Amino acid sequence: MRISDPKDMWAEGPSEKEIVQDVLSRYHHISSRFLAWCGVLGILFLLAVVVVLIRLSNGFEDRSEWGYYSATLLFIALTFMSTPIISAGLRLAKGQWRRSMTRVPELYGVVGMLGLLMLFPAIAALPPIEGRRTIWFEWPTFAPMGWDAVGVLALVLTGLAMLWMLAIPDLAKVRDHFPLSGRQKFITWLAMGWVGSVRQWRIHRLGVLTLGGMYLLLFPLVATLLGSELSAGLLPGYKDAIQPAYLIIVGVQAGLALTLVTMYVLRSTGGYERYLGVDQFWALSKPLLALSLLWFYFWWSSFITFWYGRQPSEVNIIRFLMFESYRIPFLMAFFLNFVMPLLALMWNPVRKSLAGPALVSVGILIGTLFNTIRLVVSAYSVPDPTLHLLTELPKGQVPGAIDLLIVVGGISGAVLLFLIASKIIPPFSLWEMGEGTRLVRVRRFMNRTVRVISKQN
Amino acid sequence: MYYRRTLTDEQINRELLGAVFSTPLWWVLLVSVLGFIVLGAASAVGFMVDQGLQVTGLNRSVFWGFFITNFVFWVGISHAGVMISAILRLSQAEWRRPMTRAAEVMTVFSLMTAAMMPLVHLGRLWRFYWFTPFDFARGIWPDVRSPLVWDPMAITTYLTGSVLFVYTALIPDLAVIRDRSTGWRKTVYGILSLNWHGNPRQWKLQAIAGILLSALILPVFVSVHSIVSWDFGVSLVPSWHVTVFAPYFVIGAVHSGVSAVVTLMAIMKKLYKLDNYIWEEHFDAVGRLLVVVATAWLFFFWLDLVFAFWLAEEQELTVWRLRLFHAPWSWLFLTFIVFSYVIPVPLWLSRRVRRNLTMMIITTLMVNVGMWLERFIIVVPSLMQKGPLTFDYAAYRPSIVEITIVGGTFALVAFLILMFSKFFPLIPLWEAKEGQRLGDAIKVGAISVPGIVKEE
Amino acid sequence: MTTVKQVPVRPDYKWSMVVDIDRCTGCQACVVACQSENNVPINDETSFQQHRAIEWIRIERYWEGEFPNVKARFIPVLCQHCENAPCEPVCPVYATYHNNSGMNVQVYNRCVGTRYCANGCPYHARNFNYKDPEWPDELKNQLNPDVTVRHRGIMEKCSFCVQRIRRATRAQSERVQDGAFQPACAQACPTDAIVFGDISNPQSKVARLADDKRNYKVLQALGTDPNVIYLKKVEA
Repeated sequence: MRISDPKDMWAEGPSEKEIVQDVLSRYHHISSRFLAWCGVLGILFLLAVVVVLIRLSNGFEDRSEWGYYSATLLFIALTFMSTPIISAGLRLAKGQWRRSMTRVPELYGVVGMLGLLMLFPAIAALPPIEGRRTIWFEWPTFAPMGWDAVGVLALVLTGLAMLWMLAIPDLAKVRDHFPLSGRQKFITWLAMGWVGSVRQWRIHRLGVLTLGGMYLLLFPLVATLLGSELSAGLLPGYKDAIQPAYLIIVGVQAGLALTLVTMYVLRSTGGYERYLGVDQFWALSKPLLALSLLWFYFWWSSFITFWYGRQPSEVNIIRFLMFESYRIPFLMAFFLNFVMPLLALMWNPVRKSLAGPALVSVGILIGTLFNTIRLVVSAYSVPDPTLHLLTELPKGQVPGAIDLLIVVGGISGAVLLFLIASKIIPPFSLWEMGEGTRLVRVRRFMNRTVRVISKQN
Repeated sequence: MYYRRTLTDEQINRELLGAVFSTPLWWVLLVSVLGFIVLGAASAVGFMVDQGLQVTGLNRSVFWGFFITNFVFWVGISHAGVMISAILRLSQAEWRRPMTRAAEVMTVFSLMTAAMMPLVHLGRLWRFYWFTPFDFARGIWPDVRSPLVWDPMAITTYLTGSVLFVYTALIPDLAVIRDRSTGWRKTVYGILSLNWHGNPRQWKLQAIAGILLSALILPVFVSVHSIVSWDFGVSLVPSWHVTVFAPYFVIGAVHSGVSAVVTLMAIMKKLYKLDNYIWEEHFDAVGRLLVVVATAWLFFFWLDLVFAFWLAEEQELTVWRLRLFHAPWSWLFLTFIVFSYVIPVPLWLSRRVRRNLTMMIITTLMVNVGMWLERFIIVVPSLMQKGPLTFDYAAYRPSIVEITIVGGTFALVAFLILMFSKFFPLIPLWEAKEGQRLGDAIKVGAISVPGIVKEE
Repeated sequence: MTTVKQVPVRPDYKWSMVVDIDRCTGCQACVVACQSENNVPINDETSFQQHRAIEWIRIERYWEGEFPNVKARFIPVLCQHCENAPCEPVCPVYATYHNNSGMNVQVYNRCVGTRYCANGCPYHARNFNYKDPEWPDELKNQLNPDVTVRHRGIMEKCSFCVQRIRRATRAQSERVQDGAFQPACAQACPTDAIVFGDISNPQSKVARLADDKRNYKVLQALGTDPNVIYLKKVEA
């Protein structure tokens, strides 16, 4: 075995101490701009809450009133709650470039709390499960509200636990770095007495692996639950076995896009350019392209089966969701989630830039919102879900001012939760970045410089 | 931990080319036996063409049986090559090195075998050329609305791509053989190696070709099995008309194909004594990949199952009741799910099992038995079940002719791989040498952690 | 009753059939007539045991009720010549297509025997020749010279006796009169349960019977839009 002589290597990039110092000082400082943003988002969110409460007083007789609300729920669940998968997946794949960016998607796991809260009115607005399609079949005990809540709760708790566990070493650093204050007391409690002993690291590693694995299993379950409750179960004649898998792809694509946009913002406004560079954007743009292609593939699987078979019930579904009533949201989603990412990201110069993936990601997020609106608002607007065939296609439901407030406010609330969390838990995984400085060396290799990367088993 | 063995180029050349330059007795015996079986299957095909399909077990309800099951199965196995070669090459996984050629070669041969199956099952096999996009003086071309026309298009594209893949990766090794041979061998390998001399320009072209082919073959790989799945998906047969078939089949193909590659690697290691090149770590890594793939497959299977009951259509429920509750289908179903997932995957969670050669052979063989049964369970019960109108529903029992032909396909693939190994090395020499050069280690405190050199 | 698309009325004929279940006695005369008219291979006991019997038209029998009030119900099932046929787009060699007289046509010469069309047919109206047909020498003289004898490996099904249609429509330049010819099954039926004709001609018997309030189409929800219309049995 050739061992790289420490003398003929030089470490490139900042040392662990420098990273910790730099990141923690930025994280600790709460600028006025940050507070302003929190204020704006908070106001939008509160407005939305007020509006929802008013709607609640109207009750659930008119299901179509709750269409946009439920669409927002599905958007938040798919986009914001899929992000821990990105972190877990990248950790499984063991790429080195991921070390500086995995905390961002993990932090979005806190938005799960909002998702859980939003769940109850959306499910309450559903018609009773007798006589219509559901995944609860003949077993109505506690369904759908009870089991849906259990599923989403399990996912949220796993996400929070995973975030917490992954953050503990960094929280310990924060605890040790700054003098005691109100925020620090909370962080000290969160750090749970971490000192970095071998035993603690072993437990940590096991916990991270287990929780990551659990999240990877729970998210498809929740996507299946929400997709079938909020959308498929209300559409007559809609038997689409691939829809849960399609929603998972939609969610992971949107989650990845959200991560990229957040990274861009952190870079430009937070001053974190050293850690979020072209390497990260380039590496993430490849799965983004792959996910866009998968988006098309899963959509096409469903479409070709319905379209070719020419069954009246399925043809009417295609007309309803794609070609007639909801043509505009569908075309927007098709363009923003597939055509544009494909045409943009197939070029290496675009993938290797910063603005390229970020802009494409903004488009993807907008497209995902249109997609969830298309799937959920349409379903909630069907007057009789017990039919076997959608004979009359309801017209596309244009959002009212209140609907728009709910959508904007819900998303604002999600982002607000992230902002608050980012001031409690540092938005960079300091311990993983430190690990990286130890496992990567730069050295000479046949007249060139190369990176030597080692992988622990 | 990875234990890096230090091997010289000369040692690599000698050990990996051993099979090409010498012919052990076991090889001759095995090839003869397999060749005999293949001949038997070929005669069975001839007999069937002469007598008509009455010699099979097919009837007026079950028009598709063993042959189509076998077709889908071999297309599935052919997905291994791309998964391991292209995807692992693009993601720069080191542990792919000994497997790439064996996987690609298995792809080519299993795909060729798969392509033969829909021909064999035709009523008028001698008219098969009407599928070619050419007007053979009949005034009409094939109907592109038909999934049976998409199939040959996809399969021939995939086959062409895979052959190119194998060939471009083979060139440097062919040059090594050329340099070590005399006479006719030297001439033939000289022509095949396209004047390769290993200079920087040629290596650069080789690297670019490898990356381009890997990237281009990925969409083909996804689309081939999806198109095969749409043979079923676009029809109106209950329990075939399901939207999830495309990714379900693709991921099932990856599951079965990668398992087949593991079986092949394990057998290769034993037969050719390749302990220096195929290590426990390789099986460990593939085993972990298989756990992920198998679990994803299970998710799609569960989706298929759940949504079959979604609309509670009587027709579809009948098929599933047949599959789940009526012997012998219920036994076949149980065997399939136990062999494909319930036994192998929990075993693969254990590091000890993943590194144990015998266990890996057993579990991966189980997976493929289970996956063959899966295809059978998808194809036949749907055609067998009593519809709303039908006064003619029938059971299906494969005849000896069908069994012979299907068994012959397994012998054919093994035969072809063995013949290939006689003329070309099954482990890429240049990949092994590259792996040696790029191996390195880093001192972290008192420990040396093995590392890999990555170009910036 | 939702049809997927409205097929434009062709200026040509639109051949349709009306089958009156009330009149059908289950005598199977139509089956025998079809077999002799169209050179359908002889089905012996082995073919039925192997479930490979070729029947272009078959009588399905359903039992209703408990003894002593058992009733038998018969329904003749044949190729429905669907406007939205699931068997048509899947043939790779255009061996089956929809002609402009509303019929689903099977071209024996083109068929390579993939049997995909048979999988798609929800009425199970299609038959495959698993072997070459054999007739004893004495019976070879009764083969109809107007109809091809099919080789092994080829699909076949009811063709609405297209040889009779062709003979009638080609014999004269004017439009064929209603009732000038009939397919073999309609000709043989003793109770006139099967009526055939051009439904685009409002005066034809088929068009008038199709309007009967007992009318329905089999497996209508599948949206295949058949050209065979059934009339429900009247309960006594």
